[in-house]
Amino acid sequence: MRKCLYANQIDDYLLNRLEGGAREQFEEHYFNCPSCFQQMEERDALISTIKSRGAWILKGETAAEKRDWVPAWKRALSSFTTRQWATVGAAAAALLLVIFGVLPQFRGSSPQFVLNETEVVRGDSLTLMSPIIDVRSVPTFFEWKSLGQEAEYKISLYNGGLLWSAVTHDSRIAVPEEIQKKMLPGQRFAWQVRAFSARGALIAVSSKVQFQIDRAE
Amino acid sequence: MEHRPPEIDLNEVVVKYRPVVSFKVRKSLGAQTPDWEDVVNEVITQVIEKVKKGEFRGDSSIGTYIYTITSRRIVDHIRQKTKVLKSIPEPAPLPDPCDDAETRERARILAEAIQQLKPKFKEVLNLYYYQELTRDEVAERLGISPRRVSERLNYAQKLLRKMIKT
Repeated sequence: MRKCLYANQIDDYLLNRLEGGAREQFEEHYFNCPSCFQQMEERDALISTIKSRGAWILKGETAAEKRDWVPAWKRALSSFTTRQWATVGAAAAALLLVIFGVLPQFRGSSPQFVLNETEVVRGDSLTLMSPIIDVRSVPTFFEWKSLGQEAEYKISLYNGGLLWSAVTHDSRIAVPEEIQKKMLPGQRFAWQVRAFSARGALIAVSSKVQFQIDRAE
Repeated sequence: MEHRPPEIDLNEVVVKYRPVVSFKVRKSLGAQTPDWEDVVNEVITQVIEKVKKGEFRGDSSIGTYIYTITSRRIVDHIRQKTKVLKSIPEPAPLPDPCDDAETRERARILAEAIQQLKPKFKEVLNLYYYQELTRDEVAERLGISPRRVSERLNYAQKLLRKMIKT
């Protein structure tokens, strides 16, 4: 069976990477193509499941291990002797002492909140700095406000579809020459930055800022 | 010469397009919007009325015609909502109608199937769908070619399909 040419846009559509005309064109297509629609429904279920439960289903633990864990724990406790209970009590007291007595003295940075697909960071926790308005010439770099903690930033530049994306640990990134050549005066662009923790969890998303390069230049 | 509207089997149209219209409406309004099903019903009713009146002349495909009606109805719904919200506080959200027992069960089965995949497949699903990296970025992160990333994604989905069927 020949693959539909639009089938490779399914992921981009579901992950909100298609914009404007391309998005509408794809939507009109799936109203006319049962094959693409069926694949998209299936893929949407997969992405929704991963997004809502990704944190634990993508770990190594299997469902069977997870189910067996509670009975095993109960079995172990029911076989404890008085002496073992006393040991458990002492260990618990020591643990509480460490948690409430010692750890607060080594208090680190603020907690990180992990966003799911429907949540967006509000406020200025990840603020875009430049360019944020129309510019006279092709920008040579993009800059945003650092989160002040070790984070990996993923920048995405759009002009209808995704034009360029890159990853950095700095709060600014130079635009490669080949991308600059593609940024023509008169076109509208949008850019967005996402921050990931060292463990790869999404911790902040900036708003999507639009700008245009003036034709005069 | 008189332009005759094409013969349309309305039952077939409703059966075929209700899921497509529902998908588009949920995607545009969000499944949390309590009245998304009402919007779907309104679109289907409009399609039936317009086809019965002969307004569909076959200039485009029936799919494109329904897509146009759906898009317009969504825009109208958003406009109406915006007007209403200016004067009346929004009621508390109702439970997600999509979040029924059957959907939850399907999601649970799918989640268990994902858990049973080999780590190399989970890793690629995590980076591509959960962290939303591009194919090239996933390839760079894993030290494999972008083509290999696509192969792993496709194979993981093939395995999941097989696991869910059995």
